[in-house]
Amino acid sequence: MTPNFAVIGIQTPDFRMPRLWLPIFLLWIPVILLSPLIFLVLVAIAVAARTTIWRLIVLCWDVLGGLTGTHVQVSTQDSQVLVRIL
Amino acid sequence: MNENRRQILEMLAAGKITADEAERLIAALEDAPAPSNGASASEAMPRLKVKYLRVLVESQDKSGPTTVNVRVPMQLLRAGVRLASLIPAQAHEQLDEALSRHGVPLTLSQIKPENLEELIDHLEDLTVDVDAKEDNTKVRVFCE
Repeated sequence: MTPNFAVIGIQTPDFRMPRLWLPIFLLWIPVILLSPLIFLVLVAIAVAARTTIWRLIVLCWDVLGGLTGTHVQVSTQDSQVLVRIL
Repeated sequence: MNENRRQILEMLAAGKITADEAERLIAALEDAPAPSNGASASEAMPRLKVKYLRVLVESQDKSGPTTVNVRVPMQLLRAGVRLASLIPAQAHEQLDEALSRHGVPLTLSQIKPENLEELIDHLEDLTVDVDAKEDNTKVRVFCE
């Protein structure tokens, strides 16, 4: 399943941002609109990598789907950065 | 309930052994390896499928505690490893040289996709614990 939301939180001693829930699923709209261009780019990459376009699409889809569940959190005494992909 | 356990409980019920002795015997049974009837224990019991690779770093320095908590889905690792198969053959030699310069004597052309899948599968058993007392740093890498 492809990721739907990204949660981003940044906190420093001078700046405290509320956790942002970014609706990644909305990116599908520009992706669909730009699909002919994206297809051409993928064809170029497939030719350069000497693979098939279908294999490349499957690989990209796997990477995209694999992002779901990623969690990165770095905290120090007074700062914190959080990135979660849901 | 298996036969041995039933016998122990019957001996306990008949008063031939005490509750403590029964407990010890049952504990010994549980510690003993399961009898194999053609299949190994790992084959008999389905392994829990791990979903994430977790890296935890805790460090304590003058500025205070620092923690790093990274959770990477195994699916992403698998996909990333498959992406590596897109590296053109011409680049393998340069990558091999660069890797060996950095102390990783690896020949990329000899790594096949099935080897990489196997590598990821074995990563599921990985647990690394590093406790550097002089730096007050703890690192844990494990799968969950």
